[in-house]
Amino acid sequence: MSRLLRTALLAAVLLAQAQIADAHIVSARLGDFYAGALHPLLTMQDVVVWIALGLLAGSLGAAGGRWLVMVFPLGLCAGLAFAVGSGVAPASPLVDAATILVLGLLLAAALRIPVTLLSAIALLLGVIRGAANAGELGPQSDRLLYAAGLAAAGYVTITLVMALALTLRRPETEPVSSWRGIAVRAVGGWVAAIGLMMAGLSLAP
Amino acid sequence: MTGARALIAIVLALAALLLGRPAAAHQATIAVLEFREMRPGAYIGRWTTLPKDGVNRIDLKMPPHCFLRLPELNCGDKGLVGQMTIANLGEDMSAAIIRVTSLAGETRSYTISASNPVVTVLGTDAPTLDTWLELAKTYVNLGIDHILLGADHLLFVLGLIWIVQGGWRLLKTITSFTIGHSASLAATAFGWIGVAEAPLNACIALSIVFVGVEIIKQQRGETGLTARYPWAVAFSFGLVHGIGFASALAGLGLERRILPAALLFFNVGVEIGQILFVLLVLALIWAHRRLGAALPRWGAEWPAYAIGSVSMFWFLGRLARVLAAA
Repeated sequence: MSRLLRTALLAAVLLAQAQIADAHIVSARLGDFYAGALHPLLTMQDVVVWIALGLLAGSLGAAGGRWLVMVFPLGLCAGLAFAVGSGVAPASPLVDAATILVLGLLLAAALRIPVTLLSAIALLLGVIRGAANAGELGPQSDRLLYAAGLAAAGYVTITLVMALALTLRRPETEPVSSWRGIAVRAVGGWVAAIGLMMAGLSLAP
Repeated sequence: MTGARALIAIVLALAALLLGRPAAAHQATIAVLEFREMRPGAYIGRWTTLPKDGVNRIDLKMPPHCFLRLPELNCGDKGLVGQMTIANLGEDMSAAIIRVTSLAGETRSYTISASNPVVTVLGTDAPTLDTWLELAKTYVNLGIDHILLGADHLLFVLGLIWIVQGGWRLLKTITSFTIGHSASLAATAFGWIGVAEAPLNACIALSIVFVGVEIIKQQRGETGLTARYPWAVAFSFGLVHGIGFASALAGLGLERRILPAALLFFNVGVEIGQILFVLLVLALIWAHRRLGAALPRWGAEWPAYAIGSVSMFWFLGRLARVLAAA
């Protein structure tokens, strides 16, 4: 693709977004951007799932994890868009608990998950959590800003956690039986335990 | 710096999405209520800038010994001393300013924001430690809010980080930017210099265009001005951005006696927000490098073009406002 064509394409994408030329965003309704970014970080289901997914991807190595930098935020946006479009914001405590349990078990078992499967899991989890976060959208909320904030938070969290896990675990040079590998697997056990407790609570009469 | 490119590509994609949203004017989100003392302890008040959602929505509480039914406010012998609160400020109205003019003609202004819904009205005595602490809390928060919500300031800093690429040069560059905007912020707040807001905002957008061009130059192997003298560029444009920061304080009508302290605390807040942003960007650059998550070669220039396009879009919009007002 020629440079000119690429530049023209980018300019077209940007101009397609153009509405009112008031860009000093101090004045914009960035309250919804930060609402989208902070809401999941203050929700236990999101925090546990995002961190567990990042740890899982990071412990599988850089090749496995790097796709999640794009895939997970896209999944969040897709889930949010689906929930907004359909008017349904599914929130099932049992599904949340099962998700956390499965992620914890995968982490604890130190399974070698193929990149494609890992990306598919990340996309699915992104869609589920994105849809769950739609429940916080009020009638006055700016949906695009909220989605941007949600995606930004997902991107930052998953990228940093994966890199930290990669640094701690060193999957390229150390076996899963090293103390670092055992530490990450132990965290997986705790995550699974959280999932079990949440499942118990959701099933309690 | 491939990690940084990938990071910036994602940030800019989000910024491009945000561009399409209509933005309300900053002034429209601040309401102003003025009280004038007619006899000792008795005031007449009126909204000189109406709240966006109407007067009735504002949950204004005055000190307990005061009786408020606008336009009347009666505080008896104690006078208007104590805490004033608006608990329901939020996304549609970021702040309210209450101006109180005494019988002697002295006017004091108090800013209530969503992050600091309570202000204390002082008597004529010297301010106490609690007063200073409250002042610090109010203006540090205001500074943090201002920088974290100022996408144009953050985009400029992001461009500097990209060009300078970290290390001591980045520290010196960010420090220069800080010195520059602190100096002009102080000069503007004290009234030593004054620049109209509309052309200033256009200049701020133009500074980001400049950074975008400098990034492209660097990618093509040319040595631009910013690559050679990053501290000088950061200082110069810091002066421009600092005047922009001052616009956040300009409408508050601060008392002269608290202006230096308010300015100091506001600047501290701006620095805290800026440092948080720089640290976050550096952490993400490190993470991208660690993961080897980089843009493909054919997309390497997109982020720089996106910076240029976004900022030029801002510039043209702001320039149109300047020309429309002329």
